[in-house]
Amino acid sequence: MIIEYHRPKTLEEALGLLQRPQPPTLPLGGGTTLSRLKEPDCAVVDLQALGLNQIMLQGNILKIGATVTLQQLIDYAGLRPDLVLAARKETTFNLRQRATVAGSVVSGDGRSPFLAALLALDATLLWMPREQVESVGDFLALRGRRPQKGLLITELRVATNVNFKYEAVARTPEDRPIILVAVAKWPSGRTRVVVGGFGKTPRLVMDGPDASGSQVALRSVLQDADDEWASAAYRQEVAQVLLSRCMSVL
Amino acid sequence: MQIRLWINGEEHKWQVAPHETLLAALRRHGYYGVKDGGCQHGECGACAVLLDGVPTNTCVMLAAQADGHRIETIEGMGKHPDLGWRKTEGLHPIQQALVESGAIQCGYCTPAIALAAKALLERNPNPTEEEVREAISGVLCRCTGYLKPVQAIMRAAAVMRGEEVPPIEGEPEAMAFPTDWPGGASDAPKSALDNEVSPSVRTQVMPRIWTVMRPERQALQRVGKPEIKVDAIKLVQGKPAFAADIEMRGMLIAKVLHSPVAHARIKHIDVSKARALPGVAAVLTYKDIPRVPYSTAGQSDPIPGPLDTFSLDEKVRFVGDRVAFVAAETEEIAEQALKLIEVEYEPLPAILDPADALKDGAPIIHDEPDYVNFAESDPKRNLAAQIRIDIGDVEKGFQEADRIYEAEYEVPKVQQSHIEPHVVVTYWDEDDRLVIRTSTQVPFHVRRILAPVLGLPVKRIRVIKPRIGGGFGGKQEVLIEDVAAHLTIATGRPVMYVYNREEEFTAARSRHPMRIRMKTGVKLDGTITANAMYVLSDTGAYGCHGLTVTGNTGHKAMALYVGDGEYRKAPNIRFYADIVYTNKPPAGAYRGYGVPQGFWAVERHMERIARDLGLDPITFRLKNALRAGELHPFSTAWSEGREPRPEIIHTVGLEECVAQGKAVIGWEQKFGNPEWHQVPGKPHLRRGIGVAMVMQGTAIPYLDMGGASIKMNDDGSFNLMVGATDLGTGSDTVLAQMAAEVLGVPVEDIIVYSSDTDFTPFDKGAYASSTTYISGAAVVKAAQQAAERIRIRAAKMLNQRGNGHGEVKPEDIRLVDRKAVAPDGRYVTMEEIALNSLHHADQEQIMGIGSHMSPVAPPPFAAQFAEVTVDIETGAVTVDRLVMAVDSGVIVNPITASGQIEGGMTQALGYAVCEELRYDEQGRPREKDWVNYHIFRANEMPELGTIFVETFEPSHPFGVKAVAEIPMDGVAPAVANAVLDACGADILDNPVTPEKVWRALRKA
Repeated sequence: MIIEYHRPKTLEEALGLLQRPQPPTLPLGGGTTLSRLKEPDCAVVDLQALGLNQIMLQGNILKIGATVTLQQLIDYAGLRPDLVLAARKETTFNLRQRATVAGSVVSGDGRSPFLAALLALDATLLWMPREQVESVGDFLALRGRRPQKGLLITELRVATNVNFKYEAVARTPEDRPIILVAVAKWPSGRTRVVVGGFGKTPRLVMDGPDASGSQVALRSVLQDADDEWASAAYRQEVAQVLLSRCMSVL
Repeated sequence: MQIRLWINGEEHKWQVAPHETLLAALRRHGYYGVKDGGCQHGECGACAVLLDGVPTNTCVMLAAQADGHRIETIEGMGKHPDLGWRKTEGLHPIQQALVESGAIQCGYCTPAIALAAKALLERNPNPTEEEVREAISGVLCRCTGYLKPVQAIMRAAAVMRGEEVPPIEGEPEAMAFPTDWPGGASDAPKSALDNEVSPSVRTQVMPRIWTVMRPERQALQRVGKPEIKVDAIKLVQGKPAFAADIEMRGMLIAKVLHSPVAHARIKHIDVSKARALPGVAAVLTYKDIPRVPYSTAGQSDPIPGPLDTFSLDEKVRFVGDRVAFVAAETEEIAEQALKLIEVEYEPLPAILDPADALKDGAPIIHDEPDYVNFAESDPKRNLAAQIRIDIGDVEKGFQEADRIYEAEYEVPKVQQSHIEPHVVVTYWDEDDRLVIRTSTQVPFHVRRILAPVLGLPVKRIRVIKPRIGGGFGGKQEVLIEDVAAHLTIATGRPVMYVYNREEEFTAARSRHPMRIRMKTGVKLDGTITANAMYVLSDTGAYGCHGLTVTGNTGHKAMALYVGDGEYRKAPNIRFYADIVYTNKPPAGAYRGYGVPQGFWAVERHMERIARDLGLDPITFRLKNALRAGELHPFSTAWSEGREPRPEIIHTVGLEECVAQGKAVIGWEQKFGNPEWHQVPGKPHLRRGIGVAMVMQGTAIPYLDMGGASIKMNDDGSFNLMVGATDLGTGSDTVLAQMAAEVLGVPVEDIIVYSSDTDFTPFDKGAYASSTTYISGAAVVKAAQQAAERIRIRAAKMLNQRGNGHGEVKPEDIRLVDRKAVAPDGRYVTMEEIALNSLHHADQEQIMGIGSHMSPVAPPPFAAQFAEVTVDIETGAVTVDRLVMAVDSGVIVNPITASGQIEGGMTQALGYAVCEELRYDEQGRPREKDWVNYHIFRANEMPELGTIFVETFEPSHPFGVKAVAEIPMDGVAPAVANAVLDACGADILDNPVTPEKVWRALRKA
C-alpha cells in the first residue's frame, strides 16, 4: 500500500527521495500501474512537477520526456505512422492520457506493441543522476533483476531517420496481440527485428547489417513460444508472414 | 494529506490518504456520477472524469495526483431544466442527444461517455465517426453496441455547430423496397481490413421496420413510438440511482476469502487473528452460521434444480469458492483481515474436464448428506440434471434418410460482464426487518430464497431493487446478498458488499460450456427426416440453472427445423443432455439461456449439410423450418422441469426476415460471387458471407407471472408500480408506453416505480425475455381497470353538465390527449376527473391492478447475417458487418428495441471471435480482468444493421413478442459460416480465433 506521497519540484529533490533507505520509494508517472499497488508498503514520488513531459527533436533524435503520455506522443506531429500505431495499440484511449512512456517501458510485457517498437528502434533511456544512457534492450534484459534504487529514467531517445514497420495478429482489432513483429531499418541497411505477443518482454530476433538470416532467427526465437494464447507452431509460421509484410515495405 | 481541487469550477480542499484513489475520494465526497466498474487496471473507464479537460480513469490515479488540477464530472455538465421555481440551463446538448437517441441503456457508462464526448467536441467540433469512436473507446459499454452513443455524439456535434438535425420523433424508417445495395462487386462496401476505417454512421437512429401484418398500427398513440426512456434524464445526469450510490451511518465493508484450490476439505480454519484486528467487526466461517441447503438460481418455486449450495461450507469446490466472510470498518482493514485467516486444506482430486465427471471412480463433488435432489439429479454420479426427450420416431427417421450427418461441436464458458458489478447493502430497519438493497434481476426470488437461509420469515425481509447497471442473466442469481445479510445479522450494522472485477470473473456465474453432438438424417432433396442432439453441459461446482439452461438448448435450437412434408406433420427429434458437476466456477443464466450454445451447433451443422448436398443454405433451412400454425415440437415434451402442455405457434415472420436481411446485406450479389470474395490488391484476404436462422421464447408458459398497479394523482398523472426489473433494457419505458396507450396520456404522465418487495406487486423478475410480454400484459390489465373507472366518472361528469346533449355512455368514451372524449366531441380533462374523484364528488381512488400469466410462449424468429474478411495467411478474422432481421411481434419502442438488438449482437460478436474463460490444470482461471477477457470497444465495431419484421402476436393485447435474448443466438454461427464461405475454414468450436482458422485452413 502507498503510505507516503511526494511531489518534488526539482530533479534533485526527487532523486533524494528515491535514494532514501526507507521506506521503499518508487517513481510515480501516470499512476496507471502503481496507484493500485497493494503491497509492499512504499512511498511514491510523483514526477508531474519536474517538467519531464516535453518532446524535443534534436537532429535525428527524438527526445521524449519520461512523463510524456502515450497520447501526447501519438499527437506529436511527425512521428512515424507505425510508431503511432504501436503506441495507440498499447492501451485504451483513456489510459493513454495517463500512461507515460517511461512507465510503459518499465511495466510493459511481451504483448506490448509500444515496447516492441522501442526495442526494434533501439531506443535508449537516460538515467539520472548518472546521466547514463542505456538501450531499451539492455534494460529489458536485466529488468527486475538488478537494483535501481535511487535511479530515475528522465528521457527516452528514439532515432527518427529509421524506417519502421509493425504488424500484429490479435483476436479483434483492439485486442492485445498474440503475435507481433516490429522491424526497424536504418539508412545504412542495419536491420533490427523484434517479435512479441508472448512472454515477459518482446524479444530481439536479430540486429544485423541487413535483414539476411532474420527468418531463420525468427523461427529459432519462437520455437518455445508456446502459451495459453497461441502455439509456438502458429507463432513461428505467422511471424514469418508478418516479417515478410514488414520487409516488403521497408 | 490535504489536496486542493477545482471540481466543476468550484474549489475544494479535501483530506485524503496517500493510497486513496481519485475514484474513492470523489465518491466519498458524493460524486456518485463517477461509477466504479470494479476493474483493477482501468480497463472499463466507467470511472472517467475530465482532468484538465482530458478523459481520465480515476480508479488508476491517486487522489493526491489530482492536487492542483481541474476536474469535470457529470454533475457539472447539465441539469434537469425545471427544478421547481429554480430554472436551469438544462441538459448539455450531448446529454440531450444521448437521451433522444436512445444511447442510454443501463446508464452505468453513460456519464463517462458523455464526458469523453465533451472533451472531443471541445477540441474538435466537427469530428468524423472514426474520431468519435476513438474518443469513447476508453469506456466499455456492454449494452448498446456503441451505435446509438456514436450517433448521439454526431448529432450533438451538429447541434452544437448550430446545424439543424432531423427529428427523432418521426415514424420508423419503412422499407419501401427491399434493397439498398444495388451494385455489383465493384460497389461493394470495403472491408475494414482494406482501409482500416469503420463503416459510415448516420445521425439517424431509427431501425427499419417491415410490417407484415398489423392492421391496428395506425390507431395507436404511444405504442410503436420512439419515446424517450423514462429513466434517461436521471441516468444522463449520473444521479445516485445504483445500489452502491448510498451512504449509511456505521456501514461496514464486507469481503470474502475465496478458495485458492479447486477441490478440498477445510481441515482447519483459524480466524482469531483476523477477529483481533482493530476495525474488524465480524469474521464468519461455516462454523458460525446455520447450514441450509439452497439454490442460488433466481427462479420460481419450486426451484427446478438441486439444492446443493450453502452460504459457507466445510468443503470448497472451485478456485474462487467461499471460505469466510469479513466485515470491517474499511475496505483496507477487511482485506488485511482476509490475509490473517489461516486455513489448512485437505486437497481432493478435482474434475476439470466434464467428460471425466461421469466416469466410474470419478471424485464425487457433492458428497454432502443434506443435498436435495431435483428430478434426475444424481450427485453420486456428479450429475446435476439429466434430460431425455424423444419426439416422434427418431430411429425410423434416420432409417428413411439418404444421408446421415454427424459431428461434434463445442462452445466455451463466457461471462456476462455487466459493467456494474454485483452490489448489495443490507441493514435492519426500525421494525427489525432486514432490508436488502441489491443489484438484482429477481428481487422477489431473492426474498423467498434467502428467508430460510437467514432464518427469517419472508415477511421480515424487504428487497429493494434500485437502478441496475446491466445484468444479462448474471444477476438472476442470489449471489452475494446472503454474505452481507449474514454479516448484518452478526453485527447489527449496515453492510455493503461489492464484487471487484476479479471476483466477477472467478466467483460469479457464466454461460454453460457445452460439447454438443449432432446427428441429422436428410433426404437428397434437403428434407430433414430426423434430428438428434446430445449435450454434455458443464454446470461447474453447483447446479444452479443447469437443468433449465440446458433444457432450453434443445427446446429452442432443436425446435426450429422440424423437417418438411410428412416429417413436418410428425417431426422426429431427439434431445438428450447430461449436466455434470466439475470443479470450475458455476455456470448460470446468461442472456440467451442455453440457446446460443444450441444454435452454434445447429446452424453450423445445417450449413455444412447444405453445402455437402449442394443445396442453397437459405432454401434448405426455410424448407425445414417451423411455420405459423404448427405445434411447437417441444411443447408436449418439456417445460423447464414442469408439466408440458401443447402450444401452437401463431406467428412466424422468418421468411420475411430472410428476405429483408438478404436485401440489406446484398446476399444475392455476394453469395457465390467469386469476384466479391476477392479483395483487390490484397491477395491474402478473402471475403465471406454467412447466415444463421434462430428462434427464442417469450417467457415460460403457465409459470411466469407479473403484476402491476396503477393509481391516478390529482393532476391526472399516474403512478405505475411494477415488480418487473429494468436492467437497462428499457422495460420501464415500454411498460409506461402501454399504460399511456390505454389511458390516453403522454408517457411523461406515467411515473414508473420498480421495484420494492414491500410496495410493488410480485413479478418473477427480468429473465426469459418476458417483461414486455408478461409484465406488459399485467400493466395493460391494470390500466384498463383504471380506464374503466375514468370513463364511468367522465360520463357522469359530462351527463351532469348536460347542456342539452344526449346521455353519454362510459363505453363510448375515448381516452386521448389527456382527455376523456365523448362521441359528440365534449370532453373532461384527466386533471378534472382526478380532482373530481379525489376531492369533489363520490370520492374514490381511481386505480387498477392486474397480473398476467400466459399459457403460451410465442417465439420470436430472426435471420442473422454476417460479412467477414479473413486473412488466409494468419487466420485473422475481421467481422465487417452484422445484419439482423427480427420478428419480435409488434415493436413497442423502435429505439429501445433496436438498442437491444445492437447490444445483443455485440455481445454475441464477442462469443463469436474472442470471449472465453479458460482454466489451467489446477482449475485456476486465465481471465480475471477485461485485459485478457476482451470485450468489444467502440473503435473496433463492425457495421450493425437492424430490421424489424412486425407480426401481430394474438396472445398479447398489443401483439408483442420478445426481443431481448434472440440477438445472442445467431451471430457466432453466422460469423463461422461466413468464414467457411470466405476461405473454407470449418470451425466447430467457437470462438473463431486466428489460430483455429489457420489450422483449419491447413487441414482444408
